[in-house]
Amino acid sequence: MYESLAGALLGATAALGLALAGILVILIWKKDRTRKLSYLRFFIQVVSLVGIFYSFTLALWLSAFFLVIFAVTFFSGRFFCGWICPFGFYMDIVALVRQKLGIRYFSLPEKVNNSLNKLRYVIAAVILTAPLFLGALTINPASGIQALFLRGPFRPIDILLSPLEPLIVPFTGSIANLGFNGWSISYPYARDILTYISVPNVTLILIYVFIALTLISTFMFRRFWCRFCPTGISIAAANRFKALKWMPLLHINKEEEKCTKCGICKRVCPVQVTDVYEQKGGNIKTSLCLNCMRCVEMCPYEGCLKMNLANKTVFKSRNWLEPSNSE
Amino acid sequence: MKNVSAEKKYMPEMPQKEIEELNSSVKATSAKIIADNIARMKKTDPNRPEGMKYFDEISNFFGQRPKEIQDAKIKGKKVIGYFCVFAPVELILAADAIPVRVNSGWYDTSKLGDRIVPVEVCPVIRSTIGAKMIGLSPYLELSDAVISTLTCDGMTKLSEILSDSKTIWTMTPPRVKDSPQSLQLWKEEIKTVKTQLEKITGNKITAKKLKEAIETMQKASKAFRRLQELRKGNTVLMGRDAMLVNQAALWDDIKRWTEKTEALCDELEMRIKDKAWACPPDTPRVIVTGTPMFWPDNWKLPTLIEEATPQGVLVGDEMCSSDRILYDPVGIDEWTMDDMINGIAERYLMASTCPCFTSKDGNEDRVNWLINKVKENKAQGVIYYVVRGCILYAMEYTRVKKALDKLGIPVYYLDTDYTREDVGQMKTRVEAFLEMLTARVDI
Repeated sequence: MYESLAGALLGATAALGLALAGILVILIWKKDRTRKLSYLRFFIQVVSLVGIFYSFTLALWLSAFFLVIFAVTFFSGRFFCGWICPFGFYMDIVALVRQKLGIRYFSLPEKVNNSLNKLRYVIAAVILTAPLFLGALTINPASGIQALFLRGPFRPIDILLSPLEPLIVPFTGSIANLGFNGWSISYPYARDILTYISVPNVTLILIYVFIALTLISTFMFRRFWCRFCPTGISIAAANRFKALKWMPLLHINKEEEKCTKCGICKRVCPVQVTDVYEQKGGNIKTSLCLNCMRCVEMCPYEGCLKMNLANKTVFKSRNWLEPSNSE
Repeated sequence: MKNVSAEKKYMPEMPQKEIEELNSSVKATSAKIIADNIARMKKTDPNRPEGMKYFDEISNFFGQRPKEIQDAKIKGKKVIGYFCVFAPVELILAADAIPVRVNSGWYDTSKLGDRIVPVEVCPVIRSTIGAKMIGLSPYLELSDAVISTLTCDGMTKLSEILSDSKTIWTMTPPRVKDSPQSLQLWKEEIKTVKTQLEKITGNKITAKKLKEAIETMQKASKAFRRLQELRKGNTVLMGRDAMLVNQAALWDDIKRWTEKTEALCDELEMRIKDKAWACPPDTPRVIVTGTPMFWPDNWKLPTLIEEATPQGVLVGDEMCSSDRILYDPVGIDEWTMDDMINGIAERYLMASTCPCFTSKDGNEDRVNWLINKVKENKAQGVIYYVVRGCILYAMEYTRVKKALDKLGIPVYYLDTDYTREDVGQMKTRVEAFLEMLTARVDI
């Protein structure tokens, strides 16, 4: 018993050590300052993908993960979305492939982008409340609701966790069998389609259509799903209500005088946040921002954009033309 | 690409003999003025950095650099001139052409320009017209095509007048900077210039070449910003010298310019270590903003500031002829052709602080730039320099003054013309302002 615990602890420590060593290597090895953070983010995404892969083997971990996401999102905005989320990682990879092909992304019109940002509340509301109505329809409401929430087709918590489902989830319940000689992969939301619509062939076609749609849209627009992903609602709530203002600790901060409005931050943003560009300075508060810090990294003016953690600057924009002296 | 029309709509028919006479006389004065300006710069700072020698040579408009361009032209390279900092230099470099800025700073030629346009017109325009009339400016004469950005009324008509004898490519910047349709228009203008460049040079601008050009310019920007950074502390390089280095980037080979500027910066860093200041550290620090000043003639104000008693020092400026030239880099997210074109378009339009844009839509870029410069360079006063006829800069004065008043930075409005006659009067005005600044330092 103790031996296995010690073994697990040792394994975890080794994994953590390797991850930290990787971060260190990237920081030292990558000289291009406009890519350094991106590479680091990529690495962290890979590491968390592995982490999530193992945590998905245990159903218990799922709920723990859910709590962690909520806590992280409440206190640090959508940091999770930008740096950990496997679906986001998948979209980043698709974008990388597109880049290598030399094709440029498309941009959504600002209005559409903003309304998509609002759509996420509708989606989240439907997901979270639908079981109540559906539960009331059953003969025994109380047990019906319970059944729907915990075991039934509407597992709202599960749906919110769906973006976490990497393409290689070992959790049997999550696998959508695609019918290629027993080949099966898991795709975000595929399992939900499977559970909602249980007509064999239609389900399969729907899953294919969903995969194709997300793939094409991601190929055309950077981080397309993130623009209306219901998992991203929590930070908005924290920014919207005055009583919760203290909650988000992580902010992108802008200093107006140093900004020349060159528009780089607006262009490089994967979800087309315009607030960083338009705002007159101060903290940027939008539920669209993924805190991926690409704008901070690309801003060529010393100290114009900053990443503040509890009002302490953890990362700020630098004149990336100049190699820093400390490296 | 429009062909040069045979019928001249503006340019007067001048006898060849008169042109030659005027050319040689103005050239002689100009050569004298270039030598004189450099001599005076050496006198102000007896311990002038060694690195400045190169820039003294390159700044001779009738010396080595025009010859180099001439030789390159014979070998088949094309020369593309441009008027405003709006011109996409990266594209010109990617097309294997030589970019040179062709604005004119000659006082004498502005009088010649009076024959075509009224005296009320901005002297920069008149002077450029005059220079074209007598074929004075070597860079304007050598250029195969000139990119003219229609920023102000003067520039708009200037391109019309010059199209009598030059291939002019016009670019229309939108007057409202911050709207999607503005950016779209500007992107189309950039793309048009790209096709024109490809046509005239016969070289296709590929993604690889454009990337190289962008990286070359980024390196130049790096050297440029390093130099501006060194001006923030105690003065090691007089303002005029820095202005000359900045302006040399407009006509020099950009790679060589980068190298030489980096070398100069290395030397200046050594001087900072040795505490070898170019002037006493308590010299009043001045920033100039307003109409661009062009080498060699229009060196009046910086000379006056740095030769006045009490002496002042120019620690920075907000002018498209100096500190604004290479300050903003093109930042590229994805190195695809489309994204590079977008990046270039945005850098030239959105980062610009030209007063030709309206500030009604909350465009405070120019004021912010100036305030940041004043704070970072620890300037004690601002001289608002306007040449008569430069309406846009003159009209923005009130707004800039209000913003600077809030910081308690004195601003002095100085208007002048392309003439040497008012130097005495200007000297009194500049000295009074500097004296006031010195008094403020003492308190």
